[in-house]
Amino acid sequence: MDRVVFESVRKTFRHRPALFNWLGKERGGETIALKDVSFSAASAEVLVLLGPNGSGKTTALKLISTMLLPDAGSVRVGGFDAQRDAGAVRRQVGIAVAAERSFFPRLSASENLDFFAALDEVPRRERAQRIKEVLHDTGLEEQADTLVMKFSSGMYQRLGIARALAKRPCVLLLDEPTRSLDAATTAHFWATIRTLARQETTVLLATHNFAEAAAVADRLLLLHRGELLANRSVGEGESADALRFFYFRMTGEIDEAMNAIHRARTAQ
Amino acid sequence: MISTLDKLHAILRRDLLTAIRHRSGFVVTLVGVFTELAAFYFLSRAIGPGFRPGGLEYFPFLLVGTGIYTFFVMSAQAFLSAVQEAQQTGTLEVLMTTSTAPAELLVLSSISAFAGNLVNLLVYLFTGVAVFRASIHANLLSCVAVLIFSLAIALALGIAAATLQVAFQKGSAVLWLLGSGLWFLSGTMFPIQSLPRPLELLARAVPLTYAIDGMRRALLEGQSVVAMAGTLTVLASFGVVLLLLALTGLSLSLRRARLNGTLSFY
Repeated sequence: MDRVVFESVRKTFRHRPALFNWLGKERGGETIALKDVSFSAASAEVLVLLGPNGSGKTTALKLISTMLLPDAGSVRVGGFDAQRDAGAVRRQVGIAVAAERSFFPRLSASENLDFFAALDEVPRRERAQRIKEVLHDTGLEEQADTLVMKFSSGMYQRLGIARALAKRPCVLLLDEPTRSLDAATTAHFWATIRTLARQETTVLLATHNFAEAAAVADRLLLLHRGELLANRSVGEGESADALRFFYFRMTGEIDEAMNAIHRARTAQ
Repeated sequence: MISTLDKLHAILRRDLLTAIRHRSGFVVTLVGVFTELAAFYFLSRAIGPGFRPGGLEYFPFLLVGTGIYTFFVMSAQAFLSAVQEAQQTGTLEVLMTTSTAPAELLVLSSISAFAGNLVNLLVYLFTGVAVFRASIHANLLSCVAVLIFSLAIALALGIAAATLQVAFQKGSAVLWLLGSGLWFLSGTMFPIQSLPRPLELLARAVPLTYAIDGMRRALLEGQSVVAMAGTLTVLASFGVVLLLLALTGLSLSLRRARLNGTLSFY
């Protein structure tokens, strides 16, 4: 059964310049973030959203989390509409956002997790155990009682993942989750994603990283300038290079990339 | 209900831990309270005992007026700062994706912000009485009744500030209003009867005027709840209407921000 359903979703961001715009040069107009995009994700499936900057990956995740509302079309999670039943949707979704500092700086890692778990209605008697588990899963056990204002970028990112996992969501949304992680932590994280999928969690992961897509994806969505260019399964053992080639072929960026490489080599 | 109390506990704990880890914060607050009260004490001595607004000594009159006024301003400011900080760090977007409804979350957060300022108000009044010898004749029941209805109004002002912040990134407009017009019209430092008639009528439309007047009558004159029924009814009506308006506005502004993608704009 499909757990997340996107149906003809359209999202546009309007830019209205400030008054007295002649004093500056603020751009007006609008950006179409998603153009009639439709897809679905099943239980136990890892769906990777691949695409360049501004392709609409983060917007798609924010729409599922109810952080944003669509202009047209519908987003449903577990049968609930994200506009009409936002509360029911939020109870099923956990999100790890790319903003690293979305924590309370003068609380420790475990205090932050406890706070968010309370708001996510994790029963009080289960909270301590869950926090211990997710801190272990993200390699932050030793930093449990450190104020997060002292964290590095990678630690913030791990804590963001821990926060999303502590809720034990049916649908896990990850926005560039390994951007600041070291190689060992990244590999461990990919294994965690596959384990979650085996436990029936639906994972939607936005990334630029072909190795990450090859390591975790069951299926791949290729977004480009708000349009869905491809929606296909990823074969067992399909390499990062194969995905890279597919990406460049579909987006037409291969010529641009080759020219850039040529220019760089000529300059050397 | 248990879940809501659990969330309120989590929010109070977060704010308390954050406050005590700003190590110098408490000391600065205490020094500020003492300095302000000393200034008012010497001001009332300079004016002399002949000036008795509403039949009250001037220092206790100032103590209650400025204490309640500061409580309103600081509560709205504390709540607004929390929302602004959450926007700047990106916490607000994440908070809006938790299982807690956004309106519930903001109301619980504002209760926490007001709890901290209620402690400040009590410290302020206690210092005025214990250190500067302000004479009081409190009717505790009336004091609690005025405080509860004043809290509802302060809550509405805090939520209104959050609404303007989310909708237009200009929650400070509420603080500006509190800091200028309302200060002048609410009888904080002089009785509103001293104002020209049109301004006096305007002052009677300001909820803060009734909160300050009510607390003076309850704390300084010891008037009973029955004697203050009129003032309490006005305060309760303001509280209910303003809270309903503020919550409706907040709900609309959150929806607008989610449509426009401006939840974290500041």
